[in-house]
Amino acid sequence: MRRLKEHPILSVSTDSLQLVFYFEGTQVCGTPNDTIASALIANGIDVFGFTEHNHPRGFFCAIGKCSACLVEVDGVPNVRACITPIREGMNVKMQSGRGKPKW
Amino acid sequence: MVRHIKALIVGSGPAGLTGAIAIAETLGGGKDVIIVDEGIEPGGQLPKQTHKFFGHEGFYASVRGFEIGNLLVKKVKSLGVEIIQQATVTGIYEDVITVYDRVNNIVNEYLADYLLIATGATEKFLAFKNNTLPGVYGAGAVQTLMNQYKVLPGQSFLIIGAGNIGLIVAYQLVQAGAVVKAIVEASSKVGGYAVHANKIKRLGVPILLKHTILEAIGSDKVRGAVVAEVDDAFRPIVGTEKEFVVDSICLAVGLQPNVELVAQTGAKLVYMPELGGHIPWRDENMRTTVQNVFVAGDLSGIEEATTAMIEGYIAGYNIAQEITGKSQEEKIQKMKDELSEFRRGPFSKKVRDGLKKLNIYFPAGGYREELQNNYGPKGKLRAVIECPQPIPCNPCETSCPTGAINVGGNINGIPHIDYEKCIGCGVCVTKCPGLAIFMVQENENYSIVGIPYELLPIPSKGDKVKLLDREGKYVADGEIDHVIPNNKGKTHIVYLKVPKGLEENVRSFSYFKKPEAFVCRCEELTREEIERTIDMGITDYEELRRVLRIGMGPCGGKTCRNLTLQILAEKTGSTISDIELGAYRPPTIPTPFEAVVKSVGERMERLEGKSDE
Amino acid sequence: MSEIKKYDVCIIGGGITGTALGYFLCKLGKTSVAIFEKSYLSSGSTGRCAGGIRQQWSTRPNVRLAMRSVKLFERFKDDVGMDIEYRQGGYLVLSYNEQEAEQFERNVKMQREEGLNVEILTPKQVSEKYPYINTEGIIMATFCQTDGHANPHKAVIGYAQAIRKMGGDIYTHTEVKNVDVKNGRVTGIETSAGYFACDVVINASGPWSREVSRLFGVDLPTESYRHQILVTEPLENFFPMMAISFSGNFYMRQTQHGQFILGQGDKDEKPGINHNVTYKFEKELASKMVRIFPFLRDIRIIRHWSGMYNMSPDAQPIIGQSEKVKGYYYAVGYSGHGFMVAPAVGEALAETIVFGKALHTDISYLDLTRFEKMQIEKEKNVV
Repeated sequence: MRRLKEHPILSVSTDSLQLVFYFEGTQVCGTPNDTIASALIANGIDVFGFTEHNHPRGFFCAIGKCSACLVEVDGVPNVRACITPIREGMNVKMQSGRGKPKW
Repeated sequence: MVRHIKALIVGSGPAGLTGAIAIAETLGGGKDVIIVDEGIEPGGQLPKQTHKFFGHEGFYASVRGFEIGNLLVKKVKSLGVEIIQQATVTGIYEDVITVYDRVNNIVNEYLADYLLIATGATEKFLAFKNNTLPGVYGAGAVQTLMNQYKVLPGQSFLIIGAGNIGLIVAYQLVQAGAVVKAIVEASSKVGGYAVHANKIKRLGVPILLKHTILEAIGSDKVRGAVVAEVDDAFRPIVGTEKEFVVDSICLAVGLQPNVELVAQTGAKLVYMPELGGHIPWRDENMRTTVQNVFVAGDLSGIEEATTAMIEGYIAGYNIAQEITGKSQEEKIQKMKDELSEFRRGPFSKKVRDGLKKLNIYFPAGGYREELQNNYGPKGKLRAVIECPQPIPCNPCETSCPTGAINVGGNINGIPHIDYEKCIGCGVCVTKCPGLAIFMVQENENYSIVGIPYELLPIPSKGDKVKLLDREGKYVADGEIDHVIPNNKGKTHIVYLKVPKGLEENVRSFSYFKKPEAFVCRCEELTREEIERTIDMGITDYEELRRVLRIGMGPCGGKTCRNLTLQILAEKTGSTISDIELGAYRPPTIPTPFEAVVKSVGERMERLEGKSDE
Repeated sequence: MSEIKKYDVCIIGGGITGTALGYFLCKLGKTSVAIFEKSYLSSGSTGRCAGGIRQQWSTRPNVRLAMRSVKLFERFKDDVGMDIEYRQGGYLVLSYNEQEAEQFERNVKMQREEGLNVEILTPKQVSEKYPYINTEGIIMATFCQTDGHANPHKAVIGYAQAIRKMGGDIYTHTEVKNVDVKNGRVTGIETSAGYFACDVVINASGPWSREVSRLFGVDLPTESYRHQILVTEPLENFFPMMAISFSGNFYMRQTQHGQFILGQGDKDEKPGINHNVTYKFEKELASKMVRIFPFLRDIRIIRHWSGMYNMSPDAQPIIGQSEKVKGYYYAVGYSGHGFMVAPAVGEALAETIVFGKALHTDISYLDLTRFEKMQIEKEKNVV
């Protein structure tokens, strides 16, 4: 279980996991404070996509700078998962290599 | 539509926030100041910091990072300054300044009379085999997830880098419930403060000096790491490779200033490795080579949050001075003096050396360097300070109610205690940001050692524990004497009952690990529980079965019966053939009711009262 | 001459009855007590039973005995010091027979007079409250929330540990071979661990009650019959009560650990000690229960064993002191309901032995002499 239930210094809120979005078609639950990256990591999903040479990638810097965490959201490619808050019903997919624009 | 403001501050970290406070206070309000920050919440790195900051009271010493963030943001907002989050200043163009608002997906245009760029720094990357594997994270990233999103991205960590960030993140990981297998440092000494290193060492986390990481192991995720010793030229020594089983690797190998934006203003950059790499050239008033562009914080040189705050004030007052035309020299000088005092110590040598090259001079020394060589009268409950380095920090001095502690006039000085004045109250223990103060009292039959404690669970009086020394090594068995909880500050004091004579060694403790060698998988019963039950006098296999439910689960005893008989034989001193074997009953594998019903065929028993159909 | 060990009271049988008796005797100060168990504790009926605790009896004295027992079960953890997983999940008694239903109505009236809170349910109400029960054929049902169940093994161990702590002795794997009776008085017992002098011997030997009684020269009209029982794999808990039917001949409950324990009576069973099992039993019980509880279809049976009911002619226990042999007490013939009344019986009989009379519950009606006096009010609520 990756979500902290208690902490010696910080207060851990009992935010219920009320937001539901989809990653590769599977339901994932998150809180209103989650980004796509934090919700995926919390649910044990570490691989967000693959590089052009098929290396698995997740995230690295968590603040939107390194571009490791690119995912496709509702058809839009190259979205930085670590700085994008989740939304109810969002459809997130792994991005393999470069993204494809939708038309 | 172009928005014109007098002062645009880029970055809502400590430097940007104090800059805004300085300008807004001087201007009598915040309507001419805007802060733009690309994070989700204001404060920069502050919201992720759970440890208490150093420095002195005037700059929130002994206050936890995230609380400092809250205080500064509150102040800024109360002055009427607008803070725009989730927006990035993307460009200083010839004509306008652009700000990309991520929330509304729109680029807004600005013009500013003055810019205070406080864009901070980013983690350096490290090249080793498989370093892009998911599970290799920047230390800051782990801090972000753990402390802001309350998500732990792994269970067992390897930290690369023993600077302050590596040491602090290691400690925060332990606080969040993770295991830190080791901290690996390529150089021959710990780069961060000794007190930060001591905190993590006495929890049993080893710091491997002159080691580096060679490889991250795993195919889709980190499953381990290979580490090796290095020689003086930082080359790995063949044959010294060690494998660690970890699921996360945390890189804390240094920070580099984010110069992309300030460079676009035309400000001159200089290469200054002492300050983290390329930095914007600036004078002692934090002004760059561009007349209306100022910088502050880690962008101007990797240092600390406290110096970021002071530099923010210096830059801010300078900007305010120019906007209003009214001199703020007194305030600016006061801040420069603060900075001066702060930078006298050995840890600021790099910064002093770097700034010297910019013709900015900061004095060194002038503080007490000698360690106190007496630990007070035996038998008296008293504080013992283990702060061996001059660092700019003095909450111990300012928090002591009897004035027993002093750092010798300069906040970098080594603290000394006047044991005639020390009343053993323990306040200093709870205030010290380095968790470097302990309480000691030698009694008739045993001694007690009070240690600062910030982990969960909070121990209870009487708990039996293992006593550890400063390296986290086992010294003796002991127990918790009593606990002084500190629910406001969260640094509790745990008093350990220590065998006489060991009070100079014991500085930590750990609980005896619950052995989890399972015998019964269905009911998750451990060997220890079974042995304990046998010790209670339950020596028949069938009795054991009934009390513990061994063999009552779905496997019917197939997995556990033999092991249990073995344990019984060992404990009772008999042989397995002498022990009464429990009964064997059908069915040998679980059989669904439906299958049994089907074997009845058509004839089904009718319930009483119903006639046959 | 070697010292002959003496006890004030010797108890034959280390099941729930024997250990409850030992416990209450010690509590009343009579700590010179020894229990003799020929195998391991609870190896007899107690270790094989379903652990149900019911107060819905058809005769007033039985209801009172059961209610006192429940009071003692409620305090078990605090008094005895062991958590026996006691839960008041309730007993749902289902009736498939008009005559029985009428009797139930009378029973409920009497039970309510005794202070027991019992509900009467129509089949529709049963269906609403328990949607997983197929109510076909049910005439009516009664439900008492304070009925429940516990872990009989833990109860025996709990009593045993408390006895040892209070100074009593327990001899396991020790068989009582002979009883010394002189001048119509018990003077001692011969066991495989030696001879023990004593003034009082209690027969709490469950299925072996008749053979053991013969050692005293007293005949008890008890017969032991095999009853088979099944347990399933564990599931999430959703079935809180014991579902039981006398006319339907079944009982089933879900344990704290999620397993269903179920069984039925077999009218063709012959008397005698028999711990084997028959597949015939599984077929009959499975067919019946799958119809009433359709969710059982896909649930798996993991173990099938049997235990003995020590039956008396009227299906009620035989408790008292022998008139023929002074010092010989018996607490036997529980007819499948020993566990649920054991605390109250243990307390009452211990009080009788120590003070001359029971202080909390009347057990005089369970004396052996009732058979001679033909005072038989047969207990009807038995499976």
